[in-house]
Amino acid sequence: MTNRAIDLETDVRVLVDLVSTRSESGNEAKAAHVFAHHASQLGLQTEVDVMNNAIAHRGPPAHEVHTHIFLLGHIDTVPGDIPVRIEDGMLFGRGSVDAKGPLAAMLIAASRADLPESVRVTVAGAAGEETAGSAGARFLAQHHRPDACIIGEPSGWDGVTLGYKGRLLVTASATRDLSHTAGPDDSAADMVAQWWRAVTDEVAASNQDHTRVFDALQSTIRHMSTESDGLTETATIEVGFRLPRWISPDQLIEQLTARTPVGVALSFNGAETAHATSRNDPVVRHLSGAIRAAGATPRPKLKTGTADLNVVAPIWRCPIAAYGPGDSALDHTPNEHLSIDEYRHSISVLTAAIESLARELVAKSPCATASAIAI
Amino acid sequence: MSITIEANCPECDAPVQPARRPLAGEILRCTQCSVELEVTSTEPFRLELAPEVEEDWGE
Repeated sequence: MTNRAIDLETDVRVLVDLVSTRSESGNEAKAAHVFAHHASQLGLQTEVDVMNNAIAHRGPPAHEVHTHIFLLGHIDTVPGDIPVRIEDGMLFGRGSVDAKGPLAAMLIAASRADLPESVRVTVAGAAGEETAGSAGARFLAQHHRPDACIIGEPSGWDGVTLGYKGRLLVTASATRDLSHTAGPDDSAADMVAQWWRAVTDEVAASNQDHTRVFDALQSTIRHMSTESDGLTETATIEVGFRLPRWISPDQLIEQLTARTPVGVALSFNGAETAHATSRNDPVVRHLSGAIRAAGATPRPKLKTGTADLNVVAPIWRCPIAAYGPGDSALDHTPNEHLSIDEYRHSISVLTAAIESLARELVAKSPCATASAIAI
Repeated sequence: MSITIEANCPECDAPVQPARRPLAGEILRCTQCSVELEVTSTEPFRLELAPEVEEDWGE
């Protein structure tokens, strides 16, 4: 029996349809239109922009808005074809956790929330989050200036993600004329291996005073190779750094460049700066309050990965945190699945959090103050 | 008329009196034992030990 044949309620139907529509990074258009279709059915205005970001709005037009809450998820997934099915209350499928579950929950919550008329809510499923550069979120960051933002990523329904580490991807390569391996010269592979050993020694020394992984500089080899055309040989090593808040990508690039020996060339990409929100951030407070109201103790989290929070937070500089149903240990795995019950709990939490956050933002907005004075 | 907002720290029992009206979900620090406290209710004013921040991976 296909999922379409089962009489699903709207909230689950939105989730199942999104997860059933494959959307690996770079191929988001079809899923973006599925999102737009459901958003329209829920009464929201919709668009799919030039980046294939799927966007839904409710509330007054942008030029009349005094308070704007942005719910930013992503609609792309990593590759991997997991047959979509519901078993024992669990929805299996690529993207069910990372991050179509959180995106669908935000869409349903935005449609259900009881909000002041002056509040505009935007729900966006960004394209390209699973690729270095996050082109979709970067585009959205330049075209909106919300007053508060919730990033849709799996924190668990009773968790609130305060922040993510930064990232820098580095490719080191060495090329030299071939010589006999019995000779005195280092090979190209020796040269990049020595560079890497020196880097990891420095990384270990810099981490001595840090007990939390979130505060440590992490370094990992992602790929290494050697090649030769019979006259020259080239060795290449691609490494990834997870950055704590005490070092920015630019600072790490400067340090790596200064210590790189002659003969080794470096290139950089995927730079993101670490970001962590205060526990007293309004978005964190309202999400935590909604979790408490639902009967659980909120679990604040810091994550060692990177998300679109890293992209938009430095630009928007507004209250921000990440929230969504699902166990992020299942991200990118062949066993990715989401509890339907948890998904529904998260919709209730998001709805309550958006409502109370909107009321607080409206009360604090300059327009609200002005009207109070006039009265 | 000012209202005195006060509760006792659940860790050391010292009185905790915020300088201004607290917000629900706000994290305060006990001046006596430095523990982090979460405002779980504003009316009546109630405090609980703030949950520890967990570490996780993903995304």
